[in-house]
This record gives sequence, structure tokens and C-alpha cells, in this order.
Amino acid sequence: MSVDNRITKDMSVREILETLRRSKGYYITNAQRDLSQSDFKNRILLHTDLLAAPYRERAGYFSLEISGGASIHVDMLRKQVNPFLKLKLLREEMPNTMFQTLCRGVNLFGYRPYPENVIRLTVREFSKYIDVWRVFDFLNYVPNMIPVFEEVKKAGKLLEPCICFSTGPEHTDQYYVKKVREILDVTGEDIILCIKNHGGLGTSTRIGRLVSSIKSAFPELIIHYHGHNTDGNDIGRIVAAVLAGAKIVDAGDHAFTGFFGPPPILTVIDTLAEMGIKAEGIDRDAVITTSQVLKPERLAYAEFESQFKGFDPTVQIHKLPGGAMGSSFEQAQKGGFLHLMPKILLEELPKVQKELGNWWSVTPGSQILWTVAVDNVLSGKRYENPSGDLKNLLLERYGPFPFYRPAPEIYKKVFGPDWKKILEKEGGIQKIEAIDLERERENLIERLGRKVTQEELVLYLQHPNDAVDFFKFEEEYGRCYVLPPQVWFRRGGFAVGEKITFTDYMGKSHIIEIGPSHSTDKGGKATYFYIDFHPEIFIFRETEEVKEKGPTLSKEEISYLAKAGDIRAPFNASVQKVCVKPDDEVKPGDTLAVIEAMKMQTPIESQVSGKVQRVLVKEGQEVKMGERLMLISEKT
Amino acid sequence: MIGLENPMPRKFSKILVANRGEIALRIIRAIQEWGSVAVAIYETPDKESRHILQADEAIWLGDGPCCDYLNIEKVLKAAKKVGAEAIHPGYGFLAENPNFAKACEEAGLTFIGPPSHIVKLLGDKVIARRLAEEAGIPAVPGTYPLPDGEEGEEMAISFAREHGFPLMIKAVAGGGGRGIRLVRTERELLEQLPVARVEARRSFEDERIYLEAAIPAPKHIEVQILGDNYGNLIHLGTRDCSIQRRHQKLVEIAPDRLYSPGLTKNICEAALAIAKKVGYINAGTVEFLVKGDKFYFLEINTRLQVEHTVTEMVTGIDIVRAQLDIAAGYPLSIKQEDVIIRGHAIEMRINAEDPKNDFLPEGGKKVMVYYSPGGFGVRLDGQVYPGYVVPEVYDSLLVKLTVYGLSWKEAVDRLKRALNGFVIVGPKTTIPFYLRLIEDKDFQTGRFDTSYLDTHPYLFDYTDKEREVAKIAKLIAEIHHRGYNPYAV
Repeated sequence: MSVDNRITKDMSVREILETLRRSKGYYITNAQRDLSQSDFKNRILLHTDLLAAPYRERAGYFSLEISGGASIHVDMLRKQVNPFLKLKLLREEMPNTMFQTLCRGVNLFGYRPYPENVIRLTVREFSKYIDVWRVFDFLNYVPNMIPVFEEVKKAGKLLEPCICFSTGPEHTDQYYVKKVREILDVTGEDIILCIKNHGGLGTSTRIGRLVSSIKSAFPELIIHYHGHNTDGNDIGRIVAAVLAGAKIVDAGDHAFTGFFGPPPILTVIDTLAEMGIKAEGIDRDAVITTSQVLKPERLAYAEFESQFKGFDPTVQIHKLPGGAMGSSFEQAQKGGFLHLMPKILLEELPKVQKELGNWWSVTPGSQILWTVAVDNVLSGKRYENPSGDLKNLLLERYGPFPFYRPAPEIYKKVFGPDWKKILEKEGGIQKIEAIDLERERENLIERLGRKVTQEELVLYLQHPNDAVDFFKFEEEYGRCYVLPPQVWFRRGGFAVGEKITFTDYMGKSHIIEIGPSHSTDKGGKATYFYIDFHPEIFIFRETEEVKEKGPTLSKEEISYLAKAGDIRAPFNASVQKVCVKPDDEVKPGDTLAVIEAMKMQTPIESQVSGKVQRVLVKEGQEVKMGERLMLISEKT
Repeated sequence: MIGLENPMPRKFSKILVANRGEIALRIIRAIQEWGSVAVAIYETPDKESRHILQADEAIWLGDGPCCDYLNIEKVLKAAKKVGAEAIHPGYGFLAENPNFAKACEEAGLTFIGPPSHIVKLLGDKVIARRLAEEAGIPAVPGTYPLPDGEEGEEMAISFAREHGFPLMIKAVAGGGGRGIRLVRTERELLEQLPVARVEARRSFEDERIYLEAAIPAPKHIEVQILGDNYGNLIHLGTRDCSIQRRHQKLVEIAPDRLYSPGLTKNICEAALAIAKKVGYINAGTVEFLVKGDKFYFLEINTRLQVEHTVTEMVTGIDIVRAQLDIAAGYPLSIKQEDVIIRGHAIEMRINAEDPKNDFLPEGGKKVMVYYSPGGFGVRLDGQVYPGYVVPEVYDSLLVKLTVYGLSWKEAVDRLKRALNGFVIVGPKTTIPFYLRLIEDKDFQTGRFDTSYLDTHPYLFDYTDKEREVAKIAKLIAEIHHRGYNPYAV
């Protein structure tokens, strides 16, 4: 139960690094965010984290990874909690534990590059709450991470750049050591290096060797090993990493560990303890108590656990990151192609990976690989429905291919016979123009009809429509993070007489008792609640199912109409950007609008020369496949 | 003199309450406490009103609206039918109608209020002012009733030139803030005279109008008086009713916040002097305008007032019960020296109105949820209940909140607590506006006069806040109704 050498939030970066170097044992990061994302579709609520908070605080982790990745988005989209407020509330319960985030470099917490001023502002605001910044780029392209590096250093926070890890002939120790040097050249020595094994790839031997190689090149460098337990063997890799000199490893609370996220903390502690290696700062009893407190909560999240139970050692073949495992199966089930998964995962995905350059399958690259593979299999025509993101990848707008470029045939399929010209003209990283933050602030003020805080602006800049929806939700339904998962995720309604007790954000206790319901003569349904012992009635009108507009069009029909200037949505999507207005002159290839589905953006390009007659959609609008977006009158 | 006509005091066995709403309830409660039977009357739109349920008996007058409550014949017929011995008129409707008081007397029913000749005398605002002047009390400078046509215009102009603008055109038979027009120029004055005359005729069946100098931004201070049939006359101290909108009082306070015991004393004594001059009997209110250390007599209201509750709180005297005693012929049970003003009381009218929209009444809206505050020093006089529909044809008062505090600060703190204790879902109310108002420094320090709302426009800059628990309940209801949480999956 020694709490010697414990690292706490109020220590300086220097002090922390010195403590790490001095210590004989190793430290543990509680990777709660990654656990939630990999095994519970990111749904673990703040309510649950607050329950665990005092015990996790006592457990003495190096850090609690509780922010970043997809969590910023899902906090607003599905948990209806402000990601900043979440950190504030957890901090109240956990004064000493460092909070850690996962930042996708130039892509921040989203899926595509943000302008530099947005990146800097976002890092500045989050740095007020985040102590450890793990930063990666899916192409291991260091320049993509530099603005984040700089801001983290400016904020005096601990920087943890990543080398993303994968396997294959290109993925040699020599390559990774070179990458580490490239990073150190930019950041200087006062960092922690993360080996980001988001797929849980390689054997323990492979990881041990990698850590040794880096350590022998940079003996003073602190290495943090991050892995996933998808194949069931991350404990092996962790042990190998620590034996080779890694000082920090990621694991999760066993009450919630599943198949694709981090392995159980307690197993790591006990395995290494037997080898005489101590988990520094750790209170083992507190680790156990945390899980005892959490255990009963897990049932409430059953719906979000993977429908396919069991480890998946074939991850070594398809290399899906742990964070994408659950959602891939979910998509397959919803899309009705579950039966094609073996083909997609074991044949097409590895093939696509090699064809596209064998880089790292992690956001946003993993989504590109997945979408291409799925589309290739479902359509039967490989690379013939290229998404905007695939085009951007091939144009190297995310960064240069680290090992080799895809074959010319792929470029030809995606861009047509003129692909070389296009590549020459449009290829390479494009500097994203800084956006006018004050104008964005005004936009947000206009959309909300009230003043906005800097933090709200940051959230808006990350995910404009979802942030606005969330702010409006809060206005309508209050701060609902106070509700437990048993209420938040309830299915099938509540029982008459059931009492829901909670404490609102101001600290006031409430009791809501569910009363009887009856149908109203106007076709609605009325339910009686006793709110703090006073009856109130809630009436719902039966809403008619929104009828889909117009007849469904096939893909062929949509593309035929596009050639006539009748621009239809090629699939169900949301309109991200409308690039033209009525009376604009357009020519073939001009971008008319950008639509987004499944986190992928696709530009809608004009196929004709002419004048925009009508624009029928607005930014942020959801459109159904075949719905008209705009009309262009062809020049004759 | 009148006392001699009624030498043997005797309790009425049955009293008819010729009013509706919260004041009917207030009076019915007093009658029942007093040991008499209370009879309510109602018009059709009031058929679900609480005063009917509270009363021992209730009589339907007609379909209304308002015309039946104002119908002397019907009210008297109802009283006769149930065998009532007395009628309490409340405030508004027939309360200050001398014809009604007289008709009661002629019908052998006791009118609980001053004798009809006093109601008549003081109902004439010009005569009332003259009486005050005769009693040596300064009154707001004003004219006699203006004759119609050119003669009247000439009189008006010459008064205007003597006293300057702005001026008020008032109805002789007006009162309670009704029948008042402010004019700022001669042209406005000449334009408004005929309009005011028509309005006065329509509102009071008395087209006489007169002019009064407008005292800029005065405090409105009034004195509660009680007189019995034996010449005993006492005052129950002052009230400050300066916070008004369109001459309608919103917030009332007892005692005043003049910070000048000498001035308060002079005002109370002036009130008694005028009351004595007219031989006032029963409860009444003498109103003054106060500017600096000067005060001017305004009018006497010959009835119970909405804000009588604040005086009751600081004196411990039940004014309605005193009215019953007086009307039944009992002498006043207390002397002036027994009246002790202790602490502070504030009354706020919780109206179903939208303050931001010029206090537009929320008629027709249903009160879906109503919880009220309680506890020490909190008094509620109201007719609202869960399911109450704000009437479109009557006033929009839901409940009167009166709080008591030993110190002014205690009263304000309690007021805030009580206002926050209300939960009213359905119509907009004046509560959020009041919550903003009581945070205002000028209110807290007693610096307010009749221009308060005009000079503090930011008081309207509040946000209507829905209760947090109600918001969350809405979500729980949605999860319950849909069978899943649409914001979570």
C-alpha cells in the first residue's frame, strides 16, 4: 500500500519526468476513455465516472485518461454532457490525479484537419483541465502535430507524442527509432513518448524488442505503452514493454474490461509484482474497491457492449483499432451485411490496407480503410465510389504516404484518366485558412440566441451542428448528466410507482415518482408524475412518421439526374457545406456542396456548366438519398 | 348619531359577500371565524371558483361577465333570498358605489362600509379635496369639475398656465387609479378633455372631469383608518404603494419607507383630521402624495383595499373582522395607543401577466402546476389552484403574497425565499419580474417612487427560467413515453 513516488497533478513537468526516471517500478494510466470507447461504444456516463472518482483518486494512477478521442463528440451527441464541465466535476472529486486526453493532432477530436487557429484555441481551453496530452497522427507525420505540441508546451502541460504502431515489413525498429528522433527534434527531451498500439498488434516479443530499440537509442526517454486487448494478449505485451524499460502502461478497471479495450489493471499489477516489479504509487485495495463500486453499473450498459463476445486474435490480420471494433459490428448489423464481415475483415481490409500504403489503421485513417473495404465488398466494384476523404488521402492532403504510394490503377479509378494532372495540381498538404473566430462566435450566438462562453465556442468549432443540438438540449431538458445509466438508457419505460431520485446540478435533491398513463381524447398519451410529491402531467401527441419525400431513386438515376443539373443526395447524409448560391456560374468539377455520412465527407461536384437556379438545402440539414439539393440550368 | 340608531350590537347571522376572487375568500374566512354564515354570489364564468366552495352557501346571479356582479338589484335579491342581514362589498365592483350602499340601507341590509352619504361625498374627488383643504390639509392643486365645451377649456388652460405641465385629467367619480390621463402640452390637454369625458361617462356613469397638477415622481403613501359608530377613529399606520404600473399598484409595503418618523406622524394625523371632518365610519384609506418633506392629500377610498394585508401583518389587527364588528355596532376594541407598528410587511400581487409585454394578462391559460411557499411570516391570499384557468373576463390576480419580517432586510430576504418557493407552470407570472426587482439596490434601500418602473427599465431584463427538475422530468417523460432515450442511442 505504498504511496511513495506517487505522481500528482501539482508537480511540474520536470519533477514528473525526474520521478519517472528515478523510479524502479512502473506507473499505470487508467485508460477509462479508451475502455468506454472500445467496449461500450463510448457510452459510459459521467454519472458512473463520478461514482468511481474517489476510489480512482485513491488508487494512485499516473493519470486517468478521460477525455479526447471520440469522447468529446459522444459526450455531446449521446451523453448530453458538456465535455469541459465533465472535467471540472471530476476534478472536484479527484484533486490529485492527472487527467489525460487523446488528441488526433491536426484532426484534434474530430475526423479531419482543423485550421491552425482553431487547433491552438482548442488546446489552450482544454489545457485548463488536461494535464497529459497524448498526441498522434495516423500517418505518423510529425508536422501535423506541431501546433498541438507548441500549445501544450506553452500551457506548461505534459506532452506525450505518439508513434503509432503497426506490423508488416515496413514497420521496423529502425523506422520507429527514426520517427522518435524526428519527434524529439521538434519537441525537445521533456516529453513522454507513447507507443500507440491501438490495434493491440504484434506479439509480446515484438513489443519488447521495439521498446528496447528505442531505449537503447534514447536511454533517458520515458516510454508509455498503450495497447488494446483485442487478441487477449495485451498483458503479455505490457509485461514485455515494462521488462524492456517502459515506465507507464495503460489498463482499465476490471469491472468494465471487455474484449477490445485495455486489459485489467489488477492483472497487470499482480503479474508484474510476481516478477518483482512494482506498480509505483498504486493502492491495490483502491483498485479493487473501484471495481466493486462499478460492478453493479455494468448491467445498465449491456446494450452498448459488443454483440459479439470474445477476443478476436484475427485483429492481427484486419488490424482494426480497438476503438472501432464495436462500432464496425454495429454498422454491419444495422447495414445488414453482418454475413459479409469475414470477407471484409479477413480478405478485403488487409488487401486495401496494403494497396493504400500499409500505414496505421487509426482515426481518421481507419474509417477510410473501413469505408473503402465495405464499399468494395458491398458494391462489388472496387474503388468506384470514392469518398471525399479517400480522395483527400490519395491527394496526400493528410500528409505524405510514409512507405509507398498506392498503385496508379487506384488513382486512375478514383480520379479518372487525368489523375496525374489532378495529383500534380491539387496534391499535397493544403494549408487550411484560419477562420474568423469572432464571426464563428457571432454565428453561434445567432443560432442560440444568447451569449456564449469561450468553451462553448470551442465545442462548436469542433462539431458545429452537434454542439448546437447539445446546447439546445440543455436548454430544454436541463443538465441531465445527473441521471444514472439505469434511467438514461432505460428501455421499455418505467414501472408505475417507480421512484427516480437524483440531485440536480445545483445540489438539490428530487424525487420523481412515475404515475399512471392514459390515452387522451386528442390521440395523445398523458402520464402523471409526482415531482417532489406534487402531481404534474406530461402529454405526448402521437407524432406521425415523417413520410419520406418523393420516390426513392437508384444510384444510377441520381447520377443521371446530376448530368442534367438536378442535384440529388447520393445517400442519406447531412449537409456540411453549401458552396454555391443562386445565380452562381458553375462548371464541371466545381464543388456545389459537401455532405457527410458515417463521419466521411463527400463533395458534390457539378457535372455541367451552367447557372445555379435554386438551392433547396441548408447547412446542417439532414437529407435522404435522392432528395434534391439544388438545380442547375445548363448553359446551351 | 348613527350609533344611537343601533344601540344593541348584535352579530349578523348571515352575510352576503358581493365580490369574487381572492377578496371574497378573504372576507368569507373572516365571516366564518367571526361565527357567521357566509354567502357567496357568482356569475357563470366563476362557477368553478374557490370562493363558492369556501362559502357556506352560494347564489348564482347570471351569466355575467361582470354585469351581474355590478347589478345592484340582483345582488340585493340574492341577499334577500338567502336571508342575509349584511353585505360586504369587498373592493372593486359595487364597493364604492353610493347607490349600492344606499340601496342596501333602504332594503334594511347593513352595508359593511361607511354609510352611503359618506361613500357618495368622498366618491366626488373634488369635494373630497375641498374637505381636506377645509381641515387644513394640503391637497394636490386641482380644479372644480370642468364644464363642457369652451368654458371648460378656458378654465383648463388658465389652470394649466398657473400650475404648468404635466397635468392630470381625472374623473370626478374615478379612483383606484382608474380614469386618469396625463397631458404634457396645451394641445394634448384640449385633445384629451372630450376623450376623458366620454371615458368617464362610460366607466363611472358620471362624465364630470377635473384637472390636477401632476406632482413629478412622488411617493404614494396611504393611511389605513378605522372608525366606529361612536366617534372613535384610529389609524393603523402607513403603507407605501409607490411601485405601480399604469397607476395600478404592484408592490405594497407597511409601514412606509420615508425614514422620517415626524413626516409619517404628520401624515397619519392629517388622515385622521380629514376622517374626523367627514365623520368617517368603518375601514377606509386616506391617500397622499409625498414629495420630499411635503405631502398632499389625494383621495379617500371608502372600502377595504387589496393591500390591507400588509397593515394587518404589522399591527396584528384583522381589518375585515374589525369591519364586521363596526358594522354590527360594536365599539372599536382598541384605542390609538394600542396600535403598535412592529416590523415590516411587503405584499406582491402574483398576477398571471407577462411583465415584458406591458403586463398583458394571460387570460385563458391553465395553471398546470401550483405549489405555494409557506412557513413563518408568509401569508397567501389567493384563489389559484392546480388546474385553475386564468379568467379572460376578470382580473389576472392569482394570489397575493404578503411577507412579514421584524426588520426590513428580514422581510426582503423572506420575500425572496417565498417567491422562489412558488412553482407555477402554465401562464407567465409576475414572479420572475419581482425576483429581479427585489435584487435592485433602490428597492432594497427604499428609494422608490411612482416613477420607479419607468426609471428602472432593466428590471424587465430577466429571463423566465424553467425549473431544473421540470426540465429533467420532461426528459424522463420522453424516455418513458418512447420506451428509449432518443438523446442517448
